[in-house]
Amino acid sequence: MPLRRLPALARHVSRTMPWGPLLAGCLAGLVLLAVLAYVADHSRTPLSLAQVRVTFLPALAGLAFVARAPVRPLALAAPAPAWVTPAGQLLLAITVLAVTVAAQLGLVAHTSPPGHALPAIYPLLAQLTGWAALVAAAAAICDRGRYADLGGAVAGPAGLVVIGAGWFTPRVSALLVAPPATDLGATVAWYVITAAALAVTASAQRDPWHRYRLGRRCQRRARGQRRPGPPAPEVS
Amino acid sequence: MTAAGPRPAAAGTGAAGPDDDRWPDPARRRSTAAGTVASLARVEAGLLTRSVVVLAGLVAGGAMVYHFAIAPTRPAWWAATWQIGYGQQILALAVLVAAQLAAGRARRDKLSELYRSFPATARTRVAAQLLGLAGALPASLVLVGGAAIGLELSGVLGRPGYAAPAAGVLLVIAAGAIGIAVGTRFAHPLAGVLAAVALLVPFSQSNRFTDPFIWLFPWVAPDQLGWVPGQLAGYPPAAAHAVMLAAAAGLAGLVALALTAGRRRFRLGLAVAAAAALAVAGVAGAVQLRPIPAADLARLAAEVADPASVQHCTTTGPVRYCLYPAFRAELPALQAPVRGVLARLPQPPARLLTIRQAAQVDFTDPVLTHGHPAALRARWAREVARAPGSASSSSAIYLIAGRWPASGAGAARFSLALAAAEWAVGLPPTAGAVYGDGRAQCVPLNQAREAVAIWLAIRATGAPASELAPAGPGRQSAVYVGGTPVVIWNYPGEGASYLTSLGPQPTQAGYLLAEAMTQLPARRVSRVLDGAWSTWLNDRTSQARLAAALGIPLPRVPALPGEAGPPPGANPVPSSPVCGP
Repeated sequence: MPLRRLPALARHVSRTMPWGPLLAGCLAGLVLLAVLAYVADHSRTPLSLAQVRVTFLPALAGLAFVARAPVRPLALAAPAPAWVTPAGQLLLAITVLAVTVAAQLGLVAHTSPPGHALPAIYPLLAQLTGWAALVAAAAAICDRGRYADLGGAVAGPAGLVVIGAGWFTPRVSALLVAPPATDLGATVAWYVITAAALAVTASAQRDPWHRYRLGRRCQRRARGQRRPGPPAPEVS
Repeated sequence: MTAAGPRPAAAGTGAAGPDDDRWPDPARRRSTAAGTVASLARVEAGLLTRSVVVLAGLVAGGAMVYHFAIAPTRPAWWAATWQIGYGQQILALAVLVAAQLAAGRARRDKLSELYRSFPATARTRVAAQLLGLAGALPASLVLVGGAAIGLELSGVLGRPGYAAPAAGVLLVIAAGAIGIAVGTRFAHPLAGVLAAVALLVPFSQSNRFTDPFIWLFPWVAPDQLGWVPGQLAGYPPAAAHAVMLAAAAGLAGLVALALTAGRRRFRLGLAVAAAAALAVAGVAGAVQLRPIPAADLARLAAEVADPASVQHCTTTGPVRYCLYPAFRAELPALQAPVRGVLARLPQPPARLLTIRQAAQVDFTDPVLTHGHPAALRARWAREVARAPGSASSSSAIYLIAGRWPASGAGAARFSLALAAAEWAVGLPPTAGAVYGDGRAQCVPLNQAREAVAIWLAIRATGAPASELAPAGPGRQSAVYVGGTPVVIWNYPGEGASYLTSLGPQPTQAGYLLAEAMTQLPARRVSRVLDGAWSTWLNDRTSQARLAAALGIPLPRVPALPGEAGPPPGANPVPSSPVCGP
């Protein structure tokens, strides 16, 4: 794609971006963290990175509404690949999420008492990145499924359930949560998960069809029953 | 499709709404409207009952109850009834999301025009959806019932109360009403998810705040719930909390109705009702913030400081078990590992061993003692600081009340068996050391009786070698004795807070010899031990001598990576004493 078309694409991506859900989620998380900071100050219990994790969940819920292509059949007919718009929107969303995390960390640092050092944040950043990738993957999968109409309403809770299961399952949490996992080990594990989730997201974004049924048997049956359609009209 | 689905709920019932002019008779109009609401409510309740979101919430809530109330320790009703609410909280989040999706269905699907053409008005539909929250009751009651069955199967202690489970059910209904209020105003699905997260955050963070206002959160996880050795009235204030949640549910329902109310008179009525609900919530909140009566806290402090004054004691052979009245059912589980040790002793020690429960209640926690004068709180704190369990003892083991697992906890059984075996071989089972302060623990350095004690504990509990295996090379820990590092052995349950204080610090050398002893026929080891029992109990008898008597080589302990000691200029490492006679 020629570079001169990038500004037009950027305008299109930013105009069709679901800013409302994303910003609502990010702001809701920030407001919740501000309330917790007030309560923590009142009860003289300093905030920790755990509160950043919890208050990042609303932003993730907002992200679940981003990875969606509402007029995909139409986009397939356009000259640009159909995945370009959702991919651009995801990139924009990542920027917004990064700003949100930075603001949250700033808030936690601001409320920490003098001399109270926060732990290393690189495992936290890896974890939040992994969570965002999981939610984006869940949203992309839901967008290809039968619950595409509900979009993030299904993908958000589904992503949060996956995150919760990883947090509470003993053997999994031993790998992903530090401690007992080491900071470096947890960071590597989360970036591996991020890479896998992004691969799933990319695969789902490039899939042109809705999958109303799951399982190879159903798909085989569907393929077997497909009748050859009329020849496509030639475009001159 | 679920309650969240796009299908209109009983949209075409054909019944008249309350604002319909076809029924000039007000009485008839009211009865027809009530019939419409009832029939719509039945449909909404059915959709909510079989909603995938609600059913998933039920499963997740059940897992939550198992994780917090059933699995970790032997459950007690006075804590478990409140902990069932942790599962209800998860279910409540799911009901909130499902109810919001249902309430926002018409606008989300851009079918508002179509719905307006139906005889049932928006107010009728909202009223029906509020009544349809009854559809969440089966899931909530199933959760309570399932949890109760699980608790009974785990041998739950005490007797159940009814206020906390009722409050849990009301929490689910209140969350559903909030979901309808949110969905009536905001149709976007994110609104429900955000409201659910806003409900989740206070719950998940409640244990971080030491302030009584946490009772005003929809549900909380108080820190000391599992540590009190019996029912403490007002902790948590379940009845007042149930009233507050009922008022919150009513208030949310009124808000939802107000958002669709058209006539001024009706709005006025809603405002009056909302004011009444607010008043009830305020009164219930104030009741929750009332301090726990000083007499109850004084009694609790006395029970913690002087457990002997309230505990029931049972003597079996040379061992006396003293337990709080509510924990008497734990006696057989405690006796089993100790009996296993006693059965392998050639002769029991002359002095009596006392195994006593000790409660660890923090009286500096404002959630527990708020509202009382600082002097009184300080007095209670001083009183419980003198509680037994923190002083060294050669004939007493102190178990933390409420920490003994329900079943299958090999680590807990091994901890108790090892402490009893240490008593049997003359080592102090209670060193008076708190966790992390290893300096107070003596080290049975190169003492045969250490290996004997570990062997007794392994034989008594049948602990598998895989659970006992020491840390591999490079991951070992050490203590310093006279400036020399000694590789230690961290046994199962050492860091799990089953006992108030640890005994001597086991060494890896002692464990390796004991492990080698378990490879020999038990009869052969018993014959060697029986032959010179008093010699093996002597603190000067070395492990090499015991190994020679058994006819096995003394196992080698892997060397520490930096055995030369701390680098020059580093702070001096505190030295641990060697266990004496």
